[in-house]
Amino acid sequence: MNLTRRACLAGAAGLLLAGISASAMAQDGEFKMGLLVPGSVSEEGWNRIGYNALKGVEEQLGAKVSYVELQQNPASFEKAFRDYASQGFNVILGHGFEFQDAALTVAPEFPDTTFLISSSYIHEDNVIGLNTDTSQPFYLMGYIAAKMGKKAGLVGGMEIPPIQQAFEGFVNGAKGANPAFEVNQVYIGNFTDISAAKEAALGMIAQGADFVVPNASGATVGGYQAIAESGPDVKTFSIFSDFTEVAPKNILGLYVADYAQGVVRIVKGIMEGQRPESNVDFGLADADVMKFTLSDEAAHPVPEELRKEIEDVKAKIAAGEIVTRQK
Amino acid sequence: MANIDSERSPSAGSDILNGLGRAFTKTWQAVAMPAAAVLVSMGCGALLLALNGFNGWDIFTVMLSGVFQDTRSIAEVLLKATPLILIGVGLCVAFRCSIWNIGAEGQLYAGAVATTAVGIAFPGLTSWIYVPLVILAGALAGAAWAAIAGLLKIYFRASEIVTTIMLNYIAIIATSWLVTGPLKDAAAAYPQSARLLREAWMPKILPPTRLHIGILIAIALAIAAYIFLFRSSAGYAVRVVGISPHAARYAGMSVSRNILLAISISGAMAGLAGAFEIAGVTFRLYQNISPGYGFEGIAVALLANNNPVGAIFSGTLFAVLRSGSEIMQINAQVPQVLVSVIQGIVILSVVGFGVYRFRSARPSE
Amino acid sequence: MDDIVTLGFIATTLGATWRLAAPLVYASIGEVFSERAGVLNIGIEGVMLVGAFAGFATVFWTGSLALGLLMAVAGGALMGLLFGLFTITIKADQIVVGAAMNLLGLGLTAFLYRTYFVSTGRGVEIAPSLNLPGLSDLPFVGEAFFRHNILVYGTLLVVIAAVFILHRTSFGLTLRAVGEHPKAVDIAGRSVALYRYGAVLIGCSLAGLGGAYLTLGHSNQFVEGIASGRGFIALAVVVFARWSPIGAFFVSLLFGLFYALQLQLQAQPALHIPYQALQALPYVMTIAALILVRNRVDTPSMLGVPYRKG
Repeated sequence: MNLTRRACLAGAAGLLLAGISASAMAQDGEFKMGLLVPGSVSEEGWNRIGYNALKGVEEQLGAKVSYVELQQNPASFEKAFRDYASQGFNVILGHGFEFQDAALTVAPEFPDTTFLISSSYIHEDNVIGLNTDTSQPFYLMGYIAAKMGKKAGLVGGMEIPPIQQAFEGFVNGAKGANPAFEVNQVYIGNFTDISAAKEAALGMIAQGADFVVPNASGATVGGYQAIAESGPDVKTFSIFSDFTEVAPKNILGLYVADYAQGVVRIVKGIMEGQRPESNVDFGLADADVMKFTLSDEAAHPVPEELRKEIEDVKAKIAAGEIVTRQK
Repeated sequence: MANIDSERSPSAGSDILNGLGRAFTKTWQAVAMPAAAVLVSMGCGALLLALNGFNGWDIFTVMLSGVFQDTRSIAEVLLKATPLILIGVGLCVAFRCSIWNIGAEGQLYAGAVATTAVGIAFPGLTSWIYVPLVILAGALAGAAWAAIAGLLKIYFRASEIVTTIMLNYIAIIATSWLVTGPLKDAAAAYPQSARLLREAWMPKILPPTRLHIGILIAIALAIAAYIFLFRSSAGYAVRVVGISPHAARYAGMSVSRNILLAISISGAMAGLAGAFEIAGVTFRLYQNISPGYGFEGIAVALLANNNPVGAIFSGTLFAVLRSGSEIMQINAQVPQVLVSVIQGIVILSVVGFGVYRFRSARPSE
Repeated sequence: MDDIVTLGFIATTLGATWRLAAPLVYASIGEVFSERAGVLNIGIEGVMLVGAFAGFATVFWTGSLALGLLMAVAGGALMGLLFGLFTITIKADQIVVGAAMNLLGLGLTAFLYRTYFVSTGRGVEIAPSLNLPGLSDLPFVGEAFFRHNILVYGTLLVVIAAVFILHRTSFGLTLRAVGEHPKAVDIAGRSVALYRYGAVLIGCSLAGLGGAYLTLGHSNQFVEGIASGRGFIALAVVVFARWSPIGAFFVSLLFGLFYALQLQLQAQPALHIPYQALQALPYVMTIAALILVRNRVDTPSMLGVPYRKG
């Protein structure tokens, strides 16, 4: 027993020394960016988008980067912000509206650090909200769906603002093209259950939906599988990542949010001493961030005249003439 | 019957201090071997890391030096330990009564919801009244949620393992509905409740850290639960029912009442954990208020051999692992999920070392 | 509301029911074996995750579905061996070790997935739906019953095999005796430990297969925590089914039905219920069912009790 205790003490002393050297290493002039994500970056979805933004900053701006996954646990957010800020990180991106409160609490203690919050409209000193207005590309999808399809279905993960906004945009787009067009929504209640997403999509298709768009982070892919298995008459759009491989015949187009480009742009400004003076809302007007392209590979590609119409609608959204969702 | 013999039957108050002293000595003895087990698990973890191309030793030094870096990081560990201790202590009582309450997670949510509902509803109260009120609301809600499973067991012989698991899902789904519906913050688009009124916030004990008074309450309740279980006749009855319902009935004890008591105590403790998370840490209700504290609490109780004082230590240990895993990811980019592996190995190596002598409370042969 | 109860809706729902029930059937029948022998394994969620990952990784690298299923079973069995080592040989408490299994399963699979898979793109080929001549094309019935893949039909095989083994073989008889009167088995000169190992290995292999169904039989990707609580539901199924394999099959179907219904009903705009109420339906119904059937005392009497000789 004595031996164990002594060994423990020796071990502890060693750790202490190691700790000192580790913290000494961090004292240099590099530009550092940290990222807080609510889930796992291994999923093709929301968390990956944040991770890609971080990687973009690393590769394009040469910053030193680090990230932490916080299991959607609000109690741990404040600590993670403080951990990064106290280690001299210049920019910390909280990837999700849920990080806003914690950032607001920590930020006054670290006035030199910039706290970016995804999917938020906040602007208070060094806390800046960045939002990608997903309702805009979804408006286009809804518009196309109502022009080309009989009935549409949307499969969501949990009912959170980024997904609600997207679906609101879709519904408005569909109504804009055809007020009588029916759009149904299903939430599976999590972001991990691929099987549930798949069955939800299959169910909608069986009930007559010929236009289905899944939006459930890691579970999204289940929706595309259902669509691919249901034959080429069911249409969809690939969102966030490129899912063309999964359902090549069904995907009419791609909405890819190159959030990384947007974040790189903002972080570059911060590096040069220019913090944004208001919150940032990326939309179709930011062509480098929000890319909406139509594909020719699909079994029933978007017809030429509709493409022209879409270009027109897109321009109107970018110009602010069409409002895709309530602000 | 060994459980009862080893802890002696209830005795007069003068014995309590004495007994507590003994409890701490015993607990300390019970800590050394688990400590060795923890080192073994760290070794296994390091090995796993090494096999997958990480430098295991460096990573653990980074982790531990991060956890014990300064007052703030230690305070963060204690902050995480608070719900784990509370839930662990409550489950010690339930498990001693042979009630397999797997539902602490749901009871935590129930407590969090009640605390939020009360904590945003009554402006104008002073802290002296408001803080105890929200805490009480949380504890009662947790107890009530657990009591459902207790009553189902008593009146319908429904297995509490099943009902508590179901009640977990129901509580979590109901919370999701509340924060997108009735309890949603009118001022924000987000699925979260309004902020608790200032007067309902639990006092901090170590500013500028976030550590709040909850940790002290948790430790006090752990000691109280120990006294209850091993030094009171009510606790004696709970344990007798746990070991042999027949013997309890023969001795004139009400099996039903003790089952209900034990499961309600464990529910109240989990509800408190939820109350403290809301009134002491986040100040708002969110959809994911617990990262699985309720399930981890099961391991906390079992690791402590269902001894509430021991749960203080095992709860803290799990908090160290949890906190460390975040630091590990920040500083060494090791996937945080590794902490689950290490927790699993901790339990297995404690079992393997033979330290863990939880005698099955069910009839032995 | 008119379009809710149509034949098409029913056919779709029934088809989805079976598909969603399949992983529960595998895992719960496995757990029936285990619990009938007196071993309560609350760690099946973790075992399912190991099966799901092992199957996925194997098929991703080799392209062979058969090998993937084999590895999923092997992965489950390996977890079972570990579980047995601690609960049967070391005689540690089964709930404790089960909790450790869940943590290990979740952590290991997520850690390995993270380390070795950056992006899995198209995922893997899943078991194809069988085309049964004549039957698959039948209206309604075809969609509900005859367009599934081999892993869905496998559930029938498993339930029949389980009934046969448990009730028609001396292995099954002894296995059940081990859960009721281990001493008698011991006195009769048979090893209680060996039978319990057998039961646990069967149980965990099937749980592994149930996990693999998720990645190889339904969706073609692995996601951390993909079992999404199905291991815990399987525990409920076993109690609800009163430790009978046939019961486990039908109770699993009932859960599948609730699950399918909630997904289908959400898409009905005519229903103005918060979708969370529908999501909670399976869980509320389980509790209701327990109240209605009133649990008789069918519990294996030595469930959860380590056996000590002498």
